Amino acid sequence: MLAVLKLRKTRNWIIQALFVGALAGIVIFGIVTASQTMQSQGMTSGFGFLFRSTGWPISFSLIPYGFGDPYWKALLIGVLNTLFLAAISLTLSTLVGLLVAVLRTTRNGVMNALGTIYVDTFRNIPIILQVFFWYAVYTHLPRPREAYDIAGTAFLSARGLFLPGLNVTGLSAFIAIVSGIAGIVLALWIAHGRRFSRKEPAARRRLSWGVAGIGALAVMAVLAAGRIPDTPLLSLPELKGLNFKGGINVSPELAAMATAIAIYGGAYLAEIFRAGFLAVRRGQIEAAQSLGLSGWDVFARVRLPLAIRAILPTLTNQYVWLLKATTLGIAVGFADFFMVVAVSITQSGQTMELIGILMAGFLTINYTLSSVLNRINRSIALKGQNIN
Amino acid sequence: MFKRIMAGALTLALWGAAALSGPAQAETGETLATIKDRGHLLCTGHNGSYLGFAEVDDQGNWHGFDIDLCRSLATAIFGDDEGHLKIVPTGWAQRFPALQSGDIDIIVKATGWTFNRDTDLGVQFGRPYVLAPIRVLTRKELGAESIADLDGGTICVPAGTTIERYVAEYAAATGIQADFLAIEKTEETDAAYLSGRCDAYAQWDVVLATVRLKADNPGDHVILPDIMNAEPVAMGMRQGDDNFVDIANWVANALWLAEVNGVTSENVDEMKANPPSPAVAKLLGATPGIGDQLGLKDDWAYNVIKKFGNFAEVWQRNLGEDSPYKLDRSINATYKDGGVFYPLVLD
Repeated sequence: MLAVLKLRKTRNWIIQALFVGALAGIVIFGIVTASQTMQSQGMTSGFGFLFRSTGWPISFSLIPYGFGDPYWKALLIGVLNTLFLAAISLTLSTLVGLLVAVLRTTRNGVMNALGTIYVDTFRNIPIILQVFFWYAVYTHLPRPREAYDIAGTAFLSARGLFLPGLNVTGLSAFIAIVSGIAGIVLALWIAHGRRFSRKEPAARRRLSWGVAGIGALAVMAVLAAGRIPDTPLLSLPELKGLNFKGGINVSPELAAMATAIAIYGGAYLAEIFRAGFLAVRRGQIEAAQSLGLSGWDVFARVRLPLAIRAILPTLTNQYVWLLKATTLGIAVGFADFFMVVAVSITQSGQTMELIGILMAGFLTINYTLSSVLNRINRSIALKGQNIN
Repeated sequence: MFKRIMAGALTLALWGAAALSGPAQAETGETLATIKDRGHLLCTGHNGSYLGFAEVDDQGNWHGFDIDLCRSLATAIFGDDEGHLKIVPTGWAQRFPALQSGDIDIIVKATGWTFNRDTDLGVQFGRPYVLAPIRVLTRKELGAESIADLDGGTICVPAGTTIERYVAEYAAATGIQADFLAIEKTEETDAAYLSGRCDAYAQWDVVLATVRLKADNPGDHVILPDIMNAEPVAMGMRQGDDNFVDIANWVANALWLAEVNGVTSENVDEMKANPPSPAVAKLLGATPGIGDQLGLKDDWAYNVIKKFGNFAEVWQRNLGEDSPYKLDRSINATYKDGGVFYPLVLD
């Protein structure tokens, strides 16, 4: 027996097994104690409440929702809202970040100063204050009856921005946008990805255009299927009674969240992008210039790709962080995943179960995001340069 | 390596044990004993100010209707609330978990008595002490005379409360199409209505009256007459301790008994010396028989009334004429003044 213990491999194995066993024991003990305590206090536990009707409204939803709908649907709406807000605000903050990083790396003094002021200002104000600030700005716009009229088709008021839209269901619009983006991304991947590099250029181009065409057809088919019957295809906002009817409404809550995350996240991303730009050696830029590439081509085909390769792990970190910032929606009443869970807790009282769902939900969303970005990181890494 | 793993495992095990041992849960039937041992009552406050019910002044002292009930309860148990009451600031969502984990002894926090809270959450409610009509506050310039005129508008509601359900039910029953904007923080909900984000604000009429006072020109706002629903507001306790529920019920009841029998904080000594009826004599401890059964002293009700007055006085001080809100008691008066409240019988 002792001889076995002397083997380092066996010893390590036993220690690890004990460690995992102790961890599992603590978790199981916790669950058992919690459920016993709840039972003795007459509290109901379990996931049966997910199929009970909620009976309370949700202020923003991409799919139709009524008071009689069950809790699982309310939670699903929360997840979709979080993804929707994240998609908008991460895209915007990336654009802001790129722009500011370019400003900060130019040799123009004024632009440089502008970029520096931007980063130092918005990075140093807590994001919750920025959320409150933008929400106050948007809700202090004029009331609907005195709304700013933009060419008779769009209106800006304290109820948000009203834009012309299509008379289709929210879900079909969402699917159409997702399939449109998927089509474009797939087509670009086929056209530029390494996996398809062995294909003949002509065949490759045909395939790429084919995929793009299928994507466009899918968008049209989804929109046609989701059309609300007996209405014109184009829906224009129009003042009726107390508010505007028709069109798309960008609510002040959504706008405040997207603006705050875009501006705050942009300041952080700008510094990451700047680091990436500075990591590209001058020699490589000069080499590109000496090939006769235009200024834009040098930026888009040499500097940016090399910068992204250097910063992708940090970038992944920041994106995951910004995604979690969407939970601030509760402060201004944007019905994100966290807010729906918080309301569900007070309405149903199933605290443990709902917090479990919340954690599992964010783990899944963030893990998916980071593993996709890590996959990209691996595929663009220079082979044979890394330690592992 | 070996040492480091062992140290890590040990830290983790200790941490786990510490996390599990947490706050001790109250033994059923022993709430009163626990409170007496501890030397003070743990009662709910608000995570900010809930005007009229639980508000903090610039010196950090708590005031309000719910706070006075907490103080009455502490006075009944200890003879005095000074040093025997701890107000624990609690959010709406925290109140039930805080009660179950023993962080507080009782919820006195504008809490409606609902089926779900009574059964699934294992909360034992005391007698309702306020009946809160849910109405809407709106701007006069919109010209709305009833909730039906708000069709197509936006209504602000506090998130995670029973009011969310009431407006949903009312809209479904009357066929009104309105957008609902639910916000968690009271201050933000008020600001959203006052800035014009919403056409109307659904809340207890008592709270709406306090919101109206915050407007630049309170005269521009009107509380519509329709009552969406009326919520019975009650104190919440842990299930399985009948003695503590009895104490809470009879403390509130003593306030109504005093009001109906004309006992006030000013004439309480005189009343105790020359009780006009056997019930008043018993209530004020002139004749024994009100303390022992509850595990309290015979003069508990006298102490409470001496310090806080009867139910009408508590109302006037926090919500009525003597407060900034000047609220009429209307439905919350006793049956003698046309309200729905009444004392239980002290025999």
